[in-house]
Order: sequence, then C-alpha cells, then structure tokens
Amino acid sequence: MLPGEEVEELDELQPGEAAEELVERMLQYARFRGAGAHLAERHAYGQAFLLRSARLPEGLRKVPVASAQAAYDPAVLGASLGALLRVPAPIDLTHMATARVTVGERLQILRDLLRRGRFSFDEAVKDADRATVCVTVWALLELYKRGEAAWEQDEPFGPIMVTADAPQRAAA
Amino acid sequence: VNLSTHLEALLFLAPDPVSIEELADALQVGEEAVTQASKELEADLEGRGLVIRRIDGGLALASHPDAEEAARRLLARPRTPALTPAQAETLAIVAYLQPVSRPEVARIRGVASESATSALVERGLIEEAGRSQFGAVLYRTTALFLKLFGLDSPEGLPDIAQWDPSPEEATALRDRLLRAGEARGEAAAAR
Repeated sequence: MLPGEEVEELDELQPGEAAEELVERMLQYARFRGAGAHLAERHAYGQAFLLRSARLPEGLRKVPVASAQAAYDPAVLGASLGALLRVPAPIDLTHMATARVTVGERLQILRDLLRRGRFSFDEAVKDADRATVCVTVWALLELYKRGEAAWEQDEPFGPIMVTADAPQRAAA
Repeated sequence: VNLSTHLEALLFLAPDPVSIEELADALQVGEEAVTQASKELEADLEGRGLVIRRIDGGLALASHPDAEEAARRLLARPRTPALTPAQAETLAIVAYLQPVSRPEVARIRGVASESATSALVERGLIEEAGRSQFGAVLYRTTALFLKLFGLDSPEGLPDIAQWDPSPEEATALRDRLLRAGEARGEAAAAR
C-alpha cells in the first residue's frame, strides 16, 4: 500500500484493541466475501441474457461523419451565405412625413403655461410623443438656465411641478 | 395494436436500455401507462425467445437464457471470463460502499488489492470517482456493471446483512483467535 493512505495499522493498537479490531475486520471481510460470491454467481447468470447487438436498419442509424456522403450542392450553401453578407440597399423613407418639434415651439408653450404661475410637467406634455417630451425637457432646462422657471419633485418619478420663481432665484 | 405492442417495437429497435421517460415521450403517453404496458409485454413474452430486462433505470429486450448457447454460437461471442474470488470480493466492496478507496478495499480484504482493482477497471465494471481527503483514488461501479448484473441501480443489490456471520460463527471466530493468541504467548514464554 502507498504511504499516506488512510489505513489504520493493527500494530499501532494495544494488544486487546488489536485483537478486537482483527475480529471486526474478519467479520466484515466475511460479509463482503459472501456478497462477492453472490456477485460472481449473478455475473455468470447475467451472461445468460444477450442484449441486442444487431445493427439498426440503415435509415435509423446515426451516420458517422466519416461515412457521410454528399447530398447537397455546396453552391446552394455558398449562395445563401453570400446573400447574408451583402449589405441591403437603404430603405427610402422620403415619402413618410416626419414629425418635427423645435425647442422654440416648446419654450413658447411653457412660457404660456408659466403665466399661470405654476403647472405640472405632465400637463405640458399631455398626449405628446416621446420626441416632443424630450424637447420639452430641453426647453425647461433652457428656462431654468435663464432664471425664468424652477421645478420641484417630492419623490423620484413623482409629478414635477414647474414654477415661475425668477424673483426668488434672482434674490438668492 | 395496443400500447404493449408499440412498446415491444420500440424496444426491438433500441440498441441500449431505454428509460421509461423516453418511452413515454416516444409513445405520447404517461410513464404509468408505459410501466403497465411493460408488465403486459412481460406476460405476453412468457414462453417466447425474448425477455424484458430492467437495466440502469431503463427497459431492454434480451434473448431468453435458454437460447444463450445457440446465440453465442451465432454471434461467435464467448462468455467473458468469470470473476475471480479476489475480483468478486473487491467488486462487492465497491458496489456496496461506493465511492470507496483502494486502501479501504485492502483494509477490508486484509490484502493489497491493486491487481483486482485494475482488472475490474479494465473489465469496465468499476471506474474512478474522484479522490478521498487523503488523496487516494475513489472507485464506483459503472453502467456496464448494472447491465451485466441486470440491476436498475446499485440500490437494487440485496441487503448485505444477509451475509453477516451468525452470532455463533462470530463467537467461534473470537474463541479461535483468543486460543491462537494464548498459544503464541505460551510459546514465547517457553523460549
């Protein structure tokens, strides 16, 4: 046995313990000797049954690469790959009307609302598309930069209230 | 054509044991129905040249043991050599205690077991299964073991306690060892 393997040697034990250990080992060995005899018998019996070893009909076999035969024209594959690599012509969108919104237009709308002293941002962009909402934010920043408006929002994603507070900011 | 007939057809085609799950999937029925159909097929095959074997959690058709001699002549396939006592004991220890290290096998058998272990690995009955905390190679049984022994799983092995020596045999063994020890002690004192 190799050094370092986990076998407890009998000569490391006291004589009484060694004798008891030896008896235990012999009893354990007797158990596995019996099991081994059973397995040997079962091994012999198992050989009496033969499992299918005939090859499957050709159509049901998994074909190994080595015995595969050409069935398709490689030019078809080449043409398919070639078509994938070709850059398609850009799609002409000139016939489509593109909605345009300017910062100036949105500034005008915000200033009109500011005349009331206070309004919600949702009100300013009601029914607007995403581009219009973005440009309105930009217009609002412009108003803030010019000291014409400020806003407050009590919680993230809550309503944004825009106020005309130029005098306070000017005083600060 | 009933379900057991379909099952017979699938098992005839399959070169390896097929799990109940795969059969249920192929037959588009529940696993319970496949199990029931396998019992019916088993009864239908009574007195015929084929038998159903439950191997490695699956089902397989095998030739009837009575046809073995003729089948081996036809296929020119002799029996594999019988297990030697050392191989059988080692295989029993691995089968019941797996994963188990070779030093543990040697401890139980009382002799080094390299040769028996290597032979079992070569025969495909056991395989390595990692290492013990002391670095010794651990062994477990293989799918071929289940196939050759006609087992569904290692849990299908009979209870090992049935080979425990009887209390009388254990007492006799203890007495024999004690007498041998005393005789040795007396001989040493006389020298």
